[in-house]
Amino acid sequence: MKTIILNKLSIITIILLMLGLFSCTKEDINLNDLDETIFVRHKNADMPAYIHGNGAEKVFLVILHGGPGGNGLAYRQNTFITEIEKNNAVVYFDQRNSGNAQGSYSEADLTVDIMAEDVLALAKVLKAKFGADAKLFLMGHSWGGALGPATLLKDQNDFTGWIDVAGAHDPKGMYDNYKIILKDIADEQITLENSVQHWQNTLETIEDVSQNFNVDDFFRLNRAAHAGEAKLEEDEVINKSQSDVGDDFVLSNPITNAYNGFGIINILSNKRGLWENVSFTDQLSEITIPSLVLWGKYDLIVPTLYAQEAFDNLGSSDKDLFIFEKSAHSPMSNEPELFADKVIEFINGH
Amino acid sequence: MKKFNIIFLLIAALSLQAQSQTDSPTFLGQTVFKVGYYGSLLFDNGLNVGAEHVWKQKQKIKEKKKGQKTITHQLLFNGSIGYSTNFTNQTDNGLQTHYGLIWRRTGSKRWQFNLELNPLGYYRAFLPETYEVNGDEVSEVKFPGRSYYAPSVSFGIGKSGKGKRHAGWYLNLNYTSRMPYNAGALPVFTIQYGHRFNLKNNK
Repeated sequence: MKTIILNKLSIITIILLMLGLFSCTKEDINLNDLDETIFVRHKNADMPAYIHGNGAEKVFLVILHGGPGGNGLAYRQNTFITEIEKNNAVVYFDQRNSGNAQGSYSEADLTVDIMAEDVLALAKVLKAKFGADAKLFLMGHSWGGALGPATLLKDQNDFTGWIDVAGAHDPKGMYDNYKIILKDIADEQITLENSVQHWQNTLETIEDVSQNFNVDDFFRLNRAAHAGEAKLEEDEVINKSQSDVGDDFVLSNPITNAYNGFGIINILSNKRGLWENVSFTDQLSEITIPSLVLWGKYDLIVPTLYAQEAFDNLGSSDKDLFIFEKSAHSPMSNEPELFADKVIEFINGH
Repeated sequence: MKKFNIIFLLIAALSLQAQSQTDSPTFLGQTVFKVGYYGSLLFDNGLNVGAEHVWKQKQKIKEKKKGQKTITHQLLFNGSIGYSTNFTNQTDNGLQTHYGLIWRRTGSKRWQFNLELNPLGYYRAFLPETYEVNGDEVSEVKFPGRSYYAPSVSFGIGKSGKGKRHAGWYLNLNYTSRMPYNAGALPVFTIQYGHRFNLKNNK
């Protein structure tokens, strides 16, 4: 009888020890090498934040992806892994109705305003989890460069710095600017005798679209911009895009990503008039935290004309502008080493 | 009076149904259990277990030159439960249940075609560490997750075991709609591959 009781006790002890071990594993965070997925629940949305890299100094670079409808982990490649994550932690965030974000809400809850509140909610979560002394830098790429200002204009107190990478701070102005930049680059490339037929077709597209904003024509110009960048890469005007995703690459379900992506771009474009009504240019002066503006010289998707405009209008006294000579819309892919140098220099300088 | 007529007809139909089944095999004999893989192979993977119970069955015997050809059509009740995960970043962990009907045709060479309709489906997403933000308040969510209505349809092939009328293997393509998901309904495509087995064999 005694033996039976002892045997049972030892089994229970082993189970309890194992449970204890597992619970310890969950709680023990290795700040030097963060590798975590957490979710932020805000206004009926559950949005993943993938946190990677060196959090020893409690410095976090929060990335707002492009799109609308891109995903955070798409940025986890090249020097983000090999350089930036070594310097500080990087938070790859899936916005509402994007990437692997889930939830249950109505279309009325898909607005730039609520999405900006989501980013502030993420900032609060990071400070609650890692400590109020955590320093957060916000980086927005492309559409993320519209969401970034929308967030900072609500509240910039949680952020130490703003990095604008080819950000669409003036979605409303893009229709007209597409026509200008596409014509400029087409004329330049025809003169250089690069892919002449392609650029002549681009000029025809510009002639063909309506004078005033039209959402279908907007996306025609957007597609022409994407095709133009591909041609510039083919003709070696810009560097070839690199996408080294490293060893621990996580393949997300493309159906979920595409479904979410198409959903949000449709709602923001067609029902919220994102490309027709929204602009933050006049309010950029209210952003006073240290800012860094990074752009590719051959950016056709968010025209390079926006770089100087962003720099001139930002209200910070501590701001800098850098143009990547061999890049288009994604300097982190065209010139990853130089991109990492600029980002790290800015973060460590503040 | 009209109501009584309807009730009478219903009871009569049920009793006729019950009488026609008195000679049928036992409940367990008409039930198969199944276990198999379900997932999308690349993005998330999981296990599924369930049961099917024969509700109606018809057999057609055709005379051919090479002999008799028996084709069986079945209508089965279906219930299953499964768990799948994308392991690495835990953004797609969940428990899925399907309840509905299966129509199955079994040819003389035991090859089968399955069509499954599961109007009653439920998906429970399990989330990793989750924090809820209300105003300035941040709180960690206990047992974080989210529930979705998840009806589904499947179609596929299979083969019944030799001498085992209901057992065998199956390979289905499943389409599930999780709703309300974000601001709409999420389409989910999965593959189901598994084996059916009888606890009590009725040939």
